[in-house]
Amino acid sequence: MARITLEGITKLYGKMTALDNLDLDVQDNEFLVLFGPAGAGKTTLLKTIAGVEFPQKGLVKIDGEIMNHVEPMYRNISMVFENYALYPHMSVYDNIASPMRSKLYKKDEAYIRAQVERVTQMMRIDNLWERRPSQLSNGQRQRVAIGRCLVRDPNVFLMDEPLAHLDAKLRHFMRGELKEIQSSFNSTTIYVTHDYMEAMSLADRIAVLNKGKIEQLGTSLEMYYTPCNEFVARLFGEPEINIFDGELTEQDGKMMVRAFGQPEPLCVEPDAAAVLTKGQHRQVHVGIRGNDVSFSFDKLPGWIQGSVYANEPIGNKVIMVVDVGGTHVLLVAPNDTQAEIDQPVYISLNMKNAIYFDADGETYIVRSDAERYTGKLAAAMEGR
Amino acid sequence: MASTSTIKKERKDTSALVDTQKNKKAMTALESFGRNAGLCIYALFALFPLLWMILCSFKADAQMYNTVFRFTPTLDNYEAVLLGTDYFRAFFQNLIVSGGAVLLTVVAGVPAAYALARYNFKKKEDVAFQILSFKFAPEIMVILPVFLIFQKIGLYDTYFGLIWVYQLITMPLLIWVVRGYFEDISVEVEQAAQLDGYKWFNVFFKILIPLVKPGLVASGLLAFIFAWNSFTFPLVLSGFNIQTITITSLRYIASDTVHYGQVAVASVIAVLPEIIACLFIQKHLVRGLSFGAVKG
Repeated sequence: MARITLEGITKLYGKMTALDNLDLDVQDNEFLVLFGPAGAGKTTLLKTIAGVEFPQKGLVKIDGEIMNHVEPMYRNISMVFENYALYPHMSVYDNIASPMRSKLYKKDEAYIRAQVERVTQMMRIDNLWERRPSQLSNGQRQRVAIGRCLVRDPNVFLMDEPLAHLDAKLRHFMRGELKEIQSSFNSTTIYVTHDYMEAMSLADRIAVLNKGKIEQLGTSLEMYYTPCNEFVARLFGEPEINIFDGELTEQDGKMMVRAFGQPEPLCVEPDAAAVLTKGQHRQVHVGIRGNDVSFSFDKLPGWIQGSVYANEPIGNKVIMVVDVGGTHVLLVAPNDTQAEIDQPVYISLNMKNAIYFDADGETYIVRSDAERYTGKLAAAMEGR
Repeated sequence: MASTSTIKKERKDTSALVDTQKNKKAMTALESFGRNAGLCIYALFALFPLLWMILCSFKADAQMYNTVFRFTPTLDNYEAVLLGTDYFRAFFQNLIVSGGAVLLTVVAGVPAAYALARYNFKKKEDVAFQILSFKFAPEIMVILPVFLIFQKIGLYDTYFGLIWVYQLITMPLLIWVVRGYFEDISVEVEQAAQLDGYKWFNVFFKILIPLVKPGLVASGLLAFIFAWNSFTFPLVLSGFNIQTITITSLRYIASDTVHYGQVAVASVIAVLPEIIACLFIQKHLVRGLSFGAVKG
């Protein structure tokens, strides 16, 4: 029930810039995921919205009202802290009941008991009511922290890596649960995570943060298929996207890209070629994801020769690293793939899904059929 | 044949196991005996002066220099001190001065400790060190200027004058101990409480004070003991109006003779409040209350 607008937020810690003139508009009832490397300013951003850290410049608005001088308690925000921040001298029950016992959000004890029962059952910690935080494991502490956050009905949920210390199974369950809660509570959520799969599965939109600035803001598919620069492209996807140098040439009236020092150039899709020609690019970086690389142990005409550098089975798939003239190409192979190190292997790139970046600025130029990913989602967002 | 041999072997093994268990039991018994004996010897060593003081308080002056435990107990000393002099007045005045000093230390010291732990301001460490440095100088060194100043501004021989000057010995310790406790509390705990809807005032008393309580109690108790036992300051800065126990005890040293029995009585009673305070407060002295608040 709240729209959050940040205008030109700058936050300094001494001489360190944590947030650098940052603008962000979070829609009402939106699930926004903040994603980025450590030290990008994600936690600072959450704390600025919560009102426990104060920006040196800029405005924090909730529902159009300027909140810079409003005490945290009056912002009606519920937050999960990255380090849990439980009250060590209180039991689990009292920790979770704490928001409903404050003067501002006062509820009667019967209601509190029912609510604590509800969230502890959901978090599967209803057998731990009497324990102190020091008697809990990290995963249990984290669930108490989430419980304390979810027990209220606030305007905004802020969650700072709430699932980081849960085991994989519970994390999967909680992910679904959080999504469910958020849609049924009608509250705006800003969620910080390091896990790109978590980000993509939960988010209405993702904001990628780096060095205190937003690199890109968009839907999961936009992030994955049309990243605005190489930094964003590398953040999403497992294995990491392959990015290699390419030289644009023309052959038989068609635009081709020459890479890996191969005599045979790779074909550029016509719609991408048009943009590249228009921009008069000669040197580009080509990004291609691991699942768009096919491989064969037999020599096939037109396929690029390389040798197996590493072969890592990770359960449902195998990540194969192929050495092509000194460049490593990561590809996804079926899970029963067996390969010897240094064994010759032939690869072929699906150029339909190639993403072209500027060789100097490392920024996005074009990909084939981009509207399919951006257009559809723009429409979907409008329909919401 | 083979099976019986293995059974035998097993039996042997189990008997060996029982033996080692027996040995272990014997060892632990021996260990605990040794530990207790050691502690008893230490306790005897540590408590002997106290015991000797109590014995002295029941001795007549003539028997004072006997080093054997055989003597005729007498209550004359108690009578002389408690009824013959205004010992009780000194006792209560000491209580007022020491209690007041501790109260002022807590009221002013806890916010100071919080500020030094949480806020960043220029020369913060210098201020903290300055506070600690008040304890460096021996009292006797500063006493003369303080005496002159107190005479001028009319604080000589007043309750407030003594309470104020006692801050020199009680405040630095409390600030440094409690500051450490505040630093151990993650700032996120405070922020979480604010988001839960508590005013800063409530956060401080509901969340922070319970967490620093062990440190506060321990340093408060020490402050009380320092103030209670202080000798130099009341010796110079108090006159007829206010007398503390430490000064009053001097009175039993007459020009011709020292009444050791009466000094012993004064000391025995002077120690009582400290012992009582320690026993009452002991259960609050639990360390590590703030564990578990944040990710380990």
